[in-house]
Amino acid sequence: MTMPMLSEQRSQRAEAAEITSYSVLIKRLPVTLRPALNGQLAEWETLFPFERRRTQEFMRGVASFDPPALDALLEPLRRLEAKMGVERWDFSQTADTMENASLLARSAFYAEWRGEVQRIYEAVEAAAHASVPPPALQPRLIVAILPESLPFERATLWKKWGDRGAELSIDGDAARIAELLLRGPSSVPGLLAQQGNGEISDLWLIDAGSRLSAISAGSSAASSLDYMALRALRDQVLAQVNTVPKSIEVTDQTLTAIRNKNWDPWWPAELSGQAPLCKFVIDLYLSGNGALIFSNAFVEWAASEAIRRARPRVLFARFGLRAKPKAFTGIAIFENQQRISALPDVDDPQGSAVDASVLARYTLLAAQRYPEGAQTAFLCIAESAQNAYLILPEASKTGWTSPNKATPEQIAALLIHHLSTQPNDSG
Amino acid sequence: MDLTRRELLSAAAALLVEQWAAARAIAGRSPATTDRKVVVVTCGGMRREDTFADSGFGNIPHLCRDLLPQSVFYPFLRNNGVTSHFNTISSVLTGNWQRLDDWGKTPPTSPTLFEYLRKAMHLGQDQAWFISSNKALTSQIGASSVSSFGPAFGANVIFPKQLLISAVVHAAEQGRAVHSADRATVQPEIVAILNGDNYDGLGWSVGGDSSSLDKLTLGTIQQAIEDLIRTSVPATGDEFTYLVAVEVIKRFAPSLLAITFSDMEVAHFGSYSLHLSGITTVDRLVYELWNLLQTLPAYREKTTLFVLPEFGRDLDGSNTNGFFNHRQGSESTRITWMMCLGDAVRRAQIMEDPIEQTDICPTIAGLFELKKLDLAGKPLPGLWL
Repeated sequence: MTMPMLSEQRSQRAEAAEITSYSVLIKRLPVTLRPALNGQLAEWETLFPFERRRTQEFMRGVASFDPPALDALLEPLRRLEAKMGVERWDFSQTADTMENASLLARSAFYAEWRGEVQRIYEAVEAAAHASVPPPALQPRLIVAILPESLPFERATLWKKWGDRGAELSIDGDAARIAELLLRGPSSVPGLLAQQGNGEISDLWLIDAGSRLSAISAGSSAASSLDYMALRALRDQVLAQVNTVPKSIEVTDQTLTAIRNKNWDPWWPAELSGQAPLCKFVIDLYLSGNGALIFSNAFVEWAASEAIRRARPRVLFARFGLRAKPKAFTGIAIFENQQRISALPDVDDPQGSAVDASVLARYTLLAAQRYPEGAQTAFLCIAESAQNAYLILPEASKTGWTSPNKATPEQIAALLIHHLSTQPNDSG
Repeated sequence: MDLTRRELLSAAAALLVEQWAAARAIAGRSPATTDRKVVVVTCGGMRREDTFADSGFGNIPHLCRDLLPQSVFYPFLRNNGVTSHFNTISSVLTGNWQRLDDWGKTPPTSPTLFEYLRKAMHLGQDQAWFISSNKALTSQIGASSVSSFGPAFGANVIFPKQLLISAVVHAAEQGRAVHSADRATVQPEIVAILNGDNYDGLGWSVGGDSSSLDKLTLGTIQQAIEDLIRTSVPATGDEFTYLVAVEVIKRFAPSLLAITFSDMEVAHFGSYSLHLSGITTVDRLVYELWNLLQTLPAYREKTTLFVLPEFGRDLDGSNTNGFFNHRQGSESTRITWMMCLGDAVRRAQIMEDPIEQTDICPTIAGLFELKKLDLAGKPLPGLWL
């Protein structure tokens, strides 16, 4: 056995011991804080690196309090739980459930509870950062693509996007920008590899069709999710989800069964063996938000969850067309329309464009919820309008004169330059 | 007053003034209490920015152009309870904030308006109806668990949209996917469901066995199916719910009818365009309903119509995924509006003071002269009671 292997083995053993110690620590926390943390520990092997770091940071923060200080911090929440009657609830402590969420949400003290939880998290994170300062945030990039098939009018396209960014006319083939960024010698995957960000959760390609994976030639260095490629799995999961009756308890049982089921026969080959990513997809499907129903909702919700859970360096979200609801069967929009209707699909470009523009903006808003958002360049490309909306962090504006018009090559070079900026360059 | 609030009021006031001259004369003789009718229409989650705001007027042409000038309009109606469907609607109907299982496992814990009304006025079972598109509800919504009230005084509860969905899904399960947009091909499936043995989730009639519909109710729904097959409008869930409500109105002329529309709840699946389309459908159906009531002797000049969203939707950028959901607890989710038309309106006006959804129940109780009820809210200002 080589020295590096020995070292890695020791490190893994130390991490395993540390995780075991978390279980003990979690028991000292108020009941309503336990399910989320226990759930994270139970799924440790399928967590993304960022989720592991965050959980470790939180638990180390908890451990840094001496017992009287921790009790003082937690006492208001314990009192509130007593007022809420949590001890009388059928409240799962092992994982978040719909029943848990429902019990909390219908409590008269729900808003107060949320405030208390937030206060505790902030205090624990501050304590963790006091002992180990967080690393400087690296520059990030999100590219949202509204493809050629979606009709847009330039005059109204960016009306709701606010004034943080600027409109940019694309002088050339707008579809070329993604190509330049995803392949070639100075592409995003190459740059991330150079910078030591080779972990697949650092680069996400989420697509309503399958264009991004085609451009990137199925890069193994990316978390690649194609709505089209997932169809067989999606149909199976949807059929199971639609068996859920009107009962929260039974729903929780059904969702757990779906979560634990072996879906191996249904995964597309490119996701085979990627446990964290496969777990991510199942979680996504079971968390609603249209991911099982509409391709654009899938893209937006997958992007938002990827940003929340993995904090990637780069994320591409490519939207697409959906079909019009069909006569009669459209009433059961949550059903597999191909199964319940023999009528052919008819595209709805106008409706899809409305949906996609809202959801592309939601992708930006999702990124802006986190500290990493301040280091994130955001580009939304409307291919049919030869137009884009660009937000560039201050530190990356050096040499960029904010022109009204730019070629795909200029835009791609700008974004690669942004990603090349070192954390300390931005101060 | 914040900017949004000022803009809303300003826009609404402008519409009022602009069309006031054309509005019908409202003052008139009041009907006797026993003749009085109340219709309550609740409609899913809609944000103010998509309805009564500059950015939303286009989605609700009838509400803002045709009905607002005749109405008492409450621009700041607050849902101060649990912003789920079952809890919200049962809070409106009971006048007390309900904190129940979201999926209607248990009945409201205080009496519904249906029970108060039927018990106090000795009304028959055909005088109180709850007709809903919303598949998140159950028949438990029709009567409370209070022992001195309960199902004996509850409402007839029907879920027409669920009937249609079940018909379509049932057909597919039998290997008979819908092969055309021809409405006639779907009719046999719906009728088959109607004539089936188990109505669980579809409807409930207080008069008979809880697992079957009585003949009158069955006839009502069958007529609505006929109408749906004949009509050329889109066959949405709300359209069918409306048609069933129309049949109930025509056949039974109930004193109290609650209708809930839910096409806009497609927002949960992330299609904003279909969500707006659902809002526009509700706008049209409410207008058609109001016009219909004006043509029926049992209802004309005797009816008060309340129209309100159950709640708004979450803010763009919220960690609950914005318009998809309605659980954020923000003002965008909690603050909505209400329009009141008809008998109880003596002067069209905008009532700017905030009100709560639990104020609706004591108001309707007041219209029926029901007294000494244990209700959390207070009667709404601006109405004749």
